[in-house]
Amino acid sequence: MIVKNKPGLFQRFYLLEALAGLKITISKIFKKKVTIQYPEERREYSDRYRGMHYIKSVNGVENCTACMLCPTVCPAECIHIEAGERDDKEKYPVKFEIDSLRCCFCGMCEEACPKDAIKLSNIYEMSQTTREAYDKEYLMEQRGHK
Amino acid sequence: MPKCIIDGREVEFTPGQNLIEVAKSAGIEIPLFCYHPGLSVVAQCRMCAVEIEKFPKLQTACSTPAVDGMVVKTQSEKVKQNQKSVMEFLLINHPLDCPICDKSGECDLQDQSYGYGDAYMRTSEERRTYVDLDMGPVIQKNMNRCIHCTRCIRFGDEIAGIREMVAIQRGNNTEITTIDGRPLETDYAGNYSDICPTGSLTLKDFRFKKRAWFLKKTATTCEGCSRGCAMEMQHEANMIYRCIARENQAVNKYWICDEGRFNYHYVQESDRVTEPAMQSSGSLQMSVWKDSVVHARNALQGRKVAILIGSDLTLEEAKLIQQFVPGKFPGAPIFHFGTPGIVSSKDDDAADALLKRKSKTSNLHGMEKLGIAGFSGLPLGIDAVLVFRGGRAELPKLAGVRVVGVGVFKRPDAEKFEAVLPGTAFTEKDGTIVNFMGMEQRLKRAIVPPRECKSVSEILMMWANL
Repeated sequence: MIVKNKPGLFQRFYLLEALAGLKITISKIFKKKVTIQYPEERREYSDRYRGMHYIKSVNGVENCTACMLCPTVCPAECIHIEAGERDDKEKYPVKFEIDSLRCCFCGMCEEACPKDAIKLSNIYEMSQTTREAYDKEYLMEQRGHK
Repeated sequence: MPKCIIDGREVEFTPGQNLIEVAKSAGIEIPLFCYHPGLSVVAQCRMCAVEIEKFPKLQTACSTPAVDGMVVKTQSEKVKQNQKSVMEFLLINHPLDCPICDKSGECDLQDQSYGYGDAYMRTSEERRTYVDLDMGPVIQKNMNRCIHCTRCIRFGDEIAGIREMVAIQRGNNTEITTIDGRPLETDYAGNYSDICPTGSLTLKDFRFKKRAWFLKKTATTCEGCSRGCAMEMQHEANMIYRCIARENQAVNKYWICDEGRFNYHYVQESDRVTEPAMQSSGSLQMSVWKDSVVHARNALQGRKVAILIGSDLTLEEAKLIQQFVPGKFPGAPIFHFGTPGIVSSKDDDAADALLKRKSKTSNLHGMEKLGIAGFSGLPLGIDAVLVFRGGRAELPKLAGVRVVGVGVFKRPDAEKFEAVLPGTAFTEKDGTIVNFMGMEQRLKRAIVPPRECKSVSEILMMWANL
């Protein structure tokens, strides 16, 4: 059954509806604003926010030992590591790439890491003009405070 | 058959079997470190201790033969307490560097620590450390991880026939090392890594290449010699990373030689011809299938052709060639080739005391079964040769004749060939090989052939139809 709610002539004029809308607008002008002026003003995010990745390093040496647990748990398969050996470290990542386009920022890599190496920082502005994956040098910049 | 009772279940056994084997046949797992079915029993790790009725103390299951009417408990409080204590004792000096260790994921110590050990450590003392000496090109040693099971010492002594590993010092300071720190000499050194229950002895070849849990496993047969050892290919994303021995009591028991273990490397070497190629303007040029097959056919047209079949091909491939190729070249003689100096199975003999055979190809005996004669020099009047090869057979010197190669060739070997039609290696095909005992064994396809490589049947079809 179709219910037809045909508006009358006065309702079709919409004057009442427009006035009702204006009433809300005017009443909100004098209340506290919920939006912010984004680039100038920024919201404070929780410490547990999962943003851009970084590899934690101590005295310039990466914590990572290339144990491959993060690519193992990664549901998006966006982490690619190649392991190698050097004089001061038995095993270290020669290559460490994160394809942030594939990443779903679930934070499982951070949880799996036994060495406290891969971290998700608070940075959420990650727009780029290229589709390149983050390489090791880029990830080694200490971004977060975690 | 005599019976004993393990965990309340009646289990039949043959006299002389030890409790570990008897329990295993009933599906009951007893944790162990030092026991290996292929080696002598030393009962050193104490992990397999079980409770036996009428015995005052726990008994090690590996050194206790089952007796009729024996009542064994593997799950009692006393046994569990012992396992927990042994685990704690072994881990006092273990570095727990599983993130670095290549063994992690397939490590007995890791598995049993999860299964039987405690989650917490009660010690805070510094761990015992060693300086490691180099052990030659095959094995990487890390003594810190060792639990002194002595499997490696016993393997060298009893199986490889060379006493090169020894335990020096005593008690807490025991160190497993080679005599005078010499590099390992045995041709079976890869097995040290297979039998080591921790990451103390790992393969240098596999070092940091891949974690064990990523690897897919394909049970296949080694093509290194006419013994045909059972082997497991471990691969991921169409790359082979490692080969390990598989148990086959009739052929190789638990062992495999280094030559067979590392033989797979040629399959993914960069100098393998993986695209159809033909001779043009004085050198071998990559081409397309159609042109190469036509060029190969024209090169052999109207000449007296001999057909050489590598004895590293499977029975199926050899039979195909035997059936279809002579029709194209009436009267052409067919020979098999493989190892210089090994013409027939009479020349094939044991090359050492353990596994190796003189014939360095797997299917010499299969070729004889098909009635193909051995190659010992080209007959007179032959001016062209069609070579089928699987990758392992050693090419005979073919000077002054036109050669067309079908199969797996290295670029330097094939530089003078009229044409090369790339085929599949032993990791890329299914098939049957016959070893020196006359046993038929299976080759299993582990990876997809690279680039343009095609099977012999496909190449023969193109040869006939193009």
